[in-house]
Amino acid sequence: MLDDAFAAELANLRDAYLGRLPEELSRIIDLARKLEEGDRSVLDELHMSLHKIAGSGGTFGLAELSESARMLEQRCKAFMSGEKDGIPDFLSELSSLQSSLPQSSAPDLPKSEAAEPDAVDERAARLWLVDDDDRSQNELPHLLEQFGYQVKFFRRFVDAESALSQDNPDLLIMGVSFAEEGLDATEEMLRRPVFKMMRCPILFVSDRGDFMTRLRAVRMGAQGFLMKPLDVPRLAEQLEQIFEKRNPASCRVLIVDDDEALSAHYRLVLMAAGMEVDVLNRPEEVIERVYEFHPEIVLMDIHMGHCSGAELAAVIRQHDAWVGLPIVYLSAETDLDEQIRAMGVGADDFLTKPISNAQLVAAVKVRAARAKQLSDLMSKDSMTGLLKHSRIKEELALELSRAQRSGKPMSVVMTDIDHFKKVNDTYGHAVGDRVIRAVAHLLKQRLRKTDIIGRYGGEEFVAVLPECDAETARRIMDDIRERFSQLRFRQDETEFGCTLSAGVACNLESPTADPSELLVSADEALYQAKHGGRNQVRIAHGRPNHGR
Amino acid sequence: MKSLHKILYVEDEPGIQTVAKLALEMVGKFTVKLCSSGEEALSEVAGFAPDMILLDVMMPGMDGPDTLGRLRQIPGFAQVPVAFMTAKIQPHEVEYYKSLGAVDVIAKPFDPMQLSNQVRLIWEKAHA
Repeated sequence: MLDDAFAAELANLRDAYLGRLPEELSRIIDLARKLEEGDRSVLDELHMSLHKIAGSGGTFGLAELSESARMLEQRCKAFMSGEKDGIPDFLSELSSLQSSLPQSSAPDLPKSEAAEPDAVDERAARLWLVDDDDRSQNELPHLLEQFGYQVKFFRRFVDAESALSQDNPDLLIMGVSFAEEGLDATEEMLRRPVFKMMRCPILFVSDRGDFMTRLRAVRMGAQGFLMKPLDVPRLAEQLEQIFEKRNPASCRVLIVDDDEALSAHYRLVLMAAGMEVDVLNRPEEVIERVYEFHPEIVLMDIHMGHCSGAELAAVIRQHDAWVGLPIVYLSAETDLDEQIRAMGVGADDFLTKPISNAQLVAAVKVRAARAKQLSDLMSKDSMTGLLKHSRIKEELALELSRAQRSGKPMSVVMTDIDHFKKVNDTYGHAVGDRVIRAVAHLLKQRLRKTDIIGRYGGEEFVAVLPECDAETARRIMDDIRERFSQLRFRQDETEFGCTLSAGVACNLESPTADPSELLVSADEALYQAKHGGRNQVRIAHGRPNHGR
Repeated sequence: MKSLHKILYVEDEPGIQTVAKLALEMVGKFTVKLCSSGEEALSEVAGFAPDMILLDVMMPGMDGPDTLGRLRQIPGFAQVPVAFMTAKIQPHEVEYYKSLGAVDVIAKPFDPMQLSNQVRLIWEKAHA
């Protein structure tokens, strides 16, 4: 566990190091340019800088960088002892060193710069698809790309096997013919070393769905099972579930404890378990910190310098926004009465010190997950996982006031599925629901993490896009519209497609508009899109005229 | 043999400072005092009274070998084991450091997981 905590800290340090490297290398390259121009006074600094990289890179897992820097350092030394040739080569090697730098695993960029409105943040999940079926090869990669996945297709097992020895995807889709011999061959294949070593989940796609086939798939480690012909939106839904399970959103924990060493220890332990942790050693700053950090759970010591944990919990509970925040005492208190008294004033639970690292992680995880589940239930639409009507309006008000303060643009999008009633009437509500979920998935996949998406009504959605002007929002929505129109839904033997329309309103177009006026504007633009023939995106201009 | 608790660590590069200090504290459970220059090390050493000293070789201003020479002149620190940490580990370079009175040399880049072990081995060697 300690090793894990240390590894987590190391990973942070490595990211910080990687974050500094590009700038450092640019500085070194500037020095080398001066050297090329004949300024030999930079040699000492150049030598020292390269020496530092040679000595540090490997510690952060960049052995090759260390080695290259070491060679360059030696060349630099030769220049110092009078060597004059080879400076241009030296410079170009430095440049190639710069371009070969690895990306840090968590680039430490300010949010506003990191999230380009056009870009879907996070790396697209990589799916490998093994199938001997022509239809799969022709259609699936394209359709899955609509949902933001990166797809690589293998026609034969052996090709996938050799690729797997080099690299692993995020998920493997096995689409083999499950006739008896096909099943045997698959089992045989999955017993081979590369598949056994493979750490990604497998999803099976089969033309047979009987119990034995499904059972055998489960025994081969399948995390999902779908029948052919494939319903891509349904596949996308399964994929999303699998990925969500694998990468649960990290949980934010605030530790309030005046014992700095102990809280630092807890922080490392929880960070190693993938949580985001903030430590507060001065209880009097708790409210500010809670507002800044938005913890999902607070761990606090019960006895602190000049106020008790119980008092602090009561202070937190005075704020309406934090009434539901789980507060857990972490204390050496073993007296049951004392515990009960402490819980009476607003804390939810008690963990007794000393607590093992594993116990601490498990206890925090369970409590945070439950709290998250509860708050999701309260704020999210159960069918799509998007925010409910009331919450999206709150979020919009928050983002609008933020945008007004900063003077930055912010767009609101209202989207509606075209002729949805016909889908429901023709194919039934179950299919209609699938269409709604497909829009929800697309919105989640294509919009940024910082965007706020809600289900506004039956087949109507609202998205709030901070730091995004009307034209960019229109472009993004048009891309989503296009992708959605290419999807094919299946019901029994029939296949059909759907389209959507959207209206965009931006705060810059009507600077004095309040949240509801902005929504009305977006709604009016949506109405124009519908009126103009549907399957399109329109921008609202000026204040709403309430003409609808 | 006395056991190793306190390490004075002299290094000017912030990234390496942090990782080495963390490695020595978390993995080795040592108490580490960090100094960013030879000058700082000389002024801190008496107050901290380290059991052992780790010295970077190339530092701006007073380098590692200079610092070692000056340390040896401070009363009470003539015998404290010193190891250099450096990327210069050609055999003749290592010999040179040892001739200056270092017990051993830790090669850079170092493996953070192994650093504490390396330090402990050097400590044992110094007391062998």
